Amino acid sequence: MQKSPIKYVFLLPAVLWVLAFTIFPLIYSLRISFYNIRLGRNVSAIWVGLHNFARVFTDSRVQESVVVTLVLLVTTVTAQLVLGIALAVLFNRHLPGRSLLRTLMTTPLFATPVAVGLLFLTIYYEEGGFINSILPWKIPWISHPQWALVGVGLVEIWQWTPFCFLVFLAALQSLPDELYEAARLDTSSGWRVFRSLTLPMLQPVVILVLLLRLTEGLKVFDIPWGLTGGGPGTATQTYSMFTYRAGFRHFDFGYSSALGYVMLIAEMIVITFFFKRMRQVYE
Amino acid sequence: MTTGRNATLTAVGTSAVTRRVVRQWRQVGIVLLAFLATAVAGFPVYWALSMSLRRPADTFTVTGLGVPFLQYRPTLENWRTELSVAETYHALLNSTGIAVATTVLALLLGVPAAYALARFRFHLIKNKDIVTWFLSQRVLPPVVTVLPFYLIMRTLHLLDTQAALIIANTTFNLPFAVVILRQTFLDLPLELEEAALVDGATPFSTFWHVARPLAQPAIMAAGLIILAFTWNEFLFALTIGRLDAITLPVRIAGTAYSVRGVQFWYVSTQALLAIIPPTVLALLAQRYVVRGLTLGAVKG
Amino acid sequence: MRHVLRLLSVLAVLALGLAPAQETYVTFNADGSITIRLLTDDETVTFAPGELGNLVGPGLQPYAGKTITVTTNSGGVMGGISGPIYQVRPAWEELTGAKLNIVEIPLGEAFPQVFADLQLGTGQFDGFIVGADWYGDLVEGDFVVPVDTYFDNPGFPTWDRSGFPPSLQTLYTWGGRWYGTLNDSDGQVLYYRRDILTDPAIQAEYQAATGRALVVPPPTWDDVLSIARFLNGRDLNGDGEGDSGVVLHLKVNAQGLFHFISLAVPFVVTRPNQPFWFDPDTMDPIINSPGHVRALEFLIELSQYGPAAQVGWDLGEGWDYFLRGRAAFVFSWGDVGSLVQIPERSDIKGKLGASILPGVREVYDTASGQFVAVDPPNVVGNTTGGSWHGMISVLTPNPDVVYHLWATQATRSFSLWNVRQGWTGVDPGMAWHFVPPYGNASLEAYLSQGWNADDIVEYHRAYRDNYFAPLNLSFLRIPGAFEYRQSLDQNLSKAESGQLTPQEALDLTFAQWQETTDRLGRDRQRAIYRASLGLE
Repeated sequence: MQKSPIKYVFLLPAVLWVLAFTIFPLIYSLRISFYNIRLGRNVSAIWVGLHNFARVFTDSRVQESVVVTLVLLVTTVTAQLVLGIALAVLFNRHLPGRSLLRTLMTTPLFATPVAVGLLFLTIYYEEGGFINSILPWKIPWISHPQWALVGVGLVEIWQWTPFCFLVFLAALQSLPDELYEAARLDTSSGWRVFRSLTLPMLQPVVILVLLLRLTEGLKVFDIPWGLTGGGPGTATQTYSMFTYRAGFRHFDFGYSSALGYVMLIAEMIVITFFFKRMRQVYE
Repeated sequence: MTTGRNATLTAVGTSAVTRRVVRQWRQVGIVLLAFLATAVAGFPVYWALSMSLRRPADTFTVTGLGVPFLQYRPTLENWRTELSVAETYHALLNSTGIAVATTVLALLLGVPAAYALARFRFHLIKNKDIVTWFLSQRVLPPVVTVLPFYLIMRTLHLLDTQAALIIANTTFNLPFAVVILRQTFLDLPLELEEAALVDGATPFSTFWHVARPLAQPAIMAAGLIILAFTWNEFLFALTIGRLDAITLPVRIAGTAYSVRGVQFWYVSTQALLAIIPPTVLALLAQRYVVRGLTLGAVKG
Repeated sequence: MRHVLRLLSVLAVLALGLAPAQETYVTFNADGSITIRLLTDDETVTFAPGELGNLVGPGLQPYAGKTITVTTNSGGVMGGISGPIYQVRPAWEELTGAKLNIVEIPLGEAFPQVFADLQLGTGQFDGFIVGADWYGDLVEGDFVVPVDTYFDNPGFPTWDRSGFPPSLQTLYTWGGRWYGTLNDSDGQVLYYRRDILTDPAIQAEYQAATGRALVVPPPTWDDVLSIARFLNGRDLNGDGEGDSGVVLHLKVNAQGLFHFISLAVPFVVTRPNQPFWFDPDTMDPIINSPGHVRALEFLIELSQYGPAAQVGWDLGEGWDYFLRGRAAFVFSWGDVGSLVQIPERSDIKGKLGASILPGVREVYDTASGQFVAVDPPNVVGNTTGGSWHGMISVLTPNPDVVYHLWATQATRSFSLWNVRQGWTGVDPGMAWHFVPPYGNASLEAYLSQGWNADDIVEYHRAYRDNYFAPLNLSFLRIPGAFEYRQSLDQNLSKAESGQLTPQEALDLTFAQWQETTDRLGRDRQRAIYRASLGLE
């Protein structure tokens, strides 16, 4: 079995496919990032060296978008994990109609994000929309810079908490019951059982989910695109949105490529730092 | 002595009652919490339905839960208008076609590769490193590749074709399929395949007739997830598909960012058209989906 | 998987079952006129004999077998700008034999998509609905075809250019040649609640409270501010809740910046063709001049008397608020006037007042660097917005077919139908769109479409005054207009949401514009900017 040449027939198409459609674009975009491309009657590409990269580090819009992205990332991922665990513990009990409830809980998981962003425009509508009409205060969900960030964050949390929940629930249900019985006899506090038993056993799964959510969360684009368009001002403009706008709205191809590369490199550094851990968990 | 003993018994009795009451109330609280969480999760879909049945003038005047019949007179006008244009079907068919083709292609390429990585040893580059490389593709931010991909598709004359979007989505999803399915194949008992080989089966027929059927549930799960991811993909669809290859999410964003503002009544109609198919799929196959979403690390 | 297949087949069956059936949309009348039926409205438009040109007629289908694809703004079958094309499509296809594909592009994506198609030579689109600010990029890039070559050709539909106000004609032409065909006229006017502002009780109360008379329409922005402040918090629609003095639509990356542009012009512009954006000699921006800064400060002060939510509102939400009687003022596009007439959308039919945007009594004088007092107030018209209209791609193999479509839309009969409807997003601007005494259109035709007789007179007076004003805003039409506008828009939104002061926001815009100009080439930009002002 080990010697069979068929293994290459099995493996190579997939490897070549992914190589072809990621490596070539990446090389292409590296090249573009050294040019200032001017469109118009005569398209010109002017070699500007590292100028586009220098712009990335001096442009205040980039700095703002980095802050927005990181704030969203940290807060939403934390909330997703905490809520996910809490809900999993909740649903791991005997509840009437549990499987139906659990099924409904997964509704957000595959709901088209850009459509969700737009729907929340009406849910957040400030002059008597759903949320503000049941709350005693008028919350400026879209019009206030910090609240808008909260608004985007809540939709992200809404969409991705069920993912964490499902995973943690599955993990909880695979834990051996005997351990719990023993622990329950030992101590009466549910919180202590959770702290000393459940959480440590969930740890590998928590780290895995954390990594998955962090890498996905960095890409955030669709929801703020639909909900706030990045506003007010640039208060909810994420790094991905700004990169996209530089490339496809301003036709500043060189800058957009440089922005992409800086993101890629930053992420690579973080990932290599985390990767050992990720692999340990995964293997 | 006796009195003391009685007193103790009484105390125990009371606290047992109290504990039972506490436990019952706690159970009620827990059930309520669970219902609340579920309601929050499901609410936007209900909301979309409520919005899609309103006249434009009712969009913002109906407050609270927006219950049709009670709070406003529902109308099917938005649905009628939306379903009367060919463009809606065009987007629906595109989304379906692209999602199905991507799924088939990604599985066609991914299942054998996953099997190869699970069952054969590669020497030039270690299996582990190949898997890591596939895994790392998932991390690559799409916004990094969207611009060069666009320019390359233009060189290939594939802009605004379903093919371009199928290629793009296959590229995103193939690594995912390889990684989770490799884990699945690793978890399968080796004995059956060994027995088949001993009986003289070729490695291919061992794969096809023994391993693949055993991995079928996981393959389906991977397929469903790829289908949903592709259906929802927005960034590449927005840049590459405009006319011939327009997908539903792009059409929704289009209706939303109209020159005269967001047309909430059509947006909610289209949003439902977009949300329902992947959500229904996810509900049907929930069991498999957990496993798929965690790259096979957690068993659903 | 079986579930999946079942679901897909259900969808497919649904799609087939609901597909529209084949019908006829064209009637050739005995007198040579042609009546067409529109897609959804059960409405008809009758063209005068010969109005559609002699290529079409009974048994003639001059473009059979040809297909064209045009872009338009997103909005769907009943959406602004896109709607009329859908409405006329079945009849036009029947008349010409051609097949028409409509591509809807979201507002923010429209220019980039079209420009990319042209620049990359894809040639996917035969024609486009363009915004007036695209001219610099499209005409200077040789990407569009002039249309004046068709004007004397009897084969094509004829349309009337005699009613064009100079301010709008500029937007349809470049270097003296016509590139656009009549469709939309965009400009912002002031809308107010006539019933409230002319209410004697309110007028008396206002006079007592502020010490000045409530003049209708308000002649200056200061008057608007003062009235808005006075009315803010009062119940304006009888629902028992406090309403707002004004409502704006300030959402970023939408059309919020137009509020600032139309409001700021009279603070800065006192003579014809005076630059508003850049210094035409150095190409340095003048967007952070003291006049511009004061205008932004004023806009922010005015916005205090509107709902806080308006910072995140696009046109739809802002208009809806005014239409429901929840604000006394809005300054916006022509759509408001016509939407007021639609009972499903509006509670204020018959209560509408409208005027050209007010003036200011203190104007910034660039020469002296001082604010100087002016009397009467300095009033300037504007053509802010897209003035969305058709253009023909240089890459199309079928320019005639595209022109035929755009010219059909531009005909007097269709154009009048367009401006009479509230929902089409096509706003009046031609002298022959306006009812007497402002033009020669038939009042009855408007009334039969459900217009209120008082409302329409107000509305048409406002627009006549605006487009035919002696002073008008010079439109930013240079390459990169989209990028310049986007950075202005984002910085304005920061100021409006309190993240930057007006001075900081406009200084930042100055710096970003300089960067863009340098990247695009200062000399080329200067030359084109001067051309767009008619300086060379």
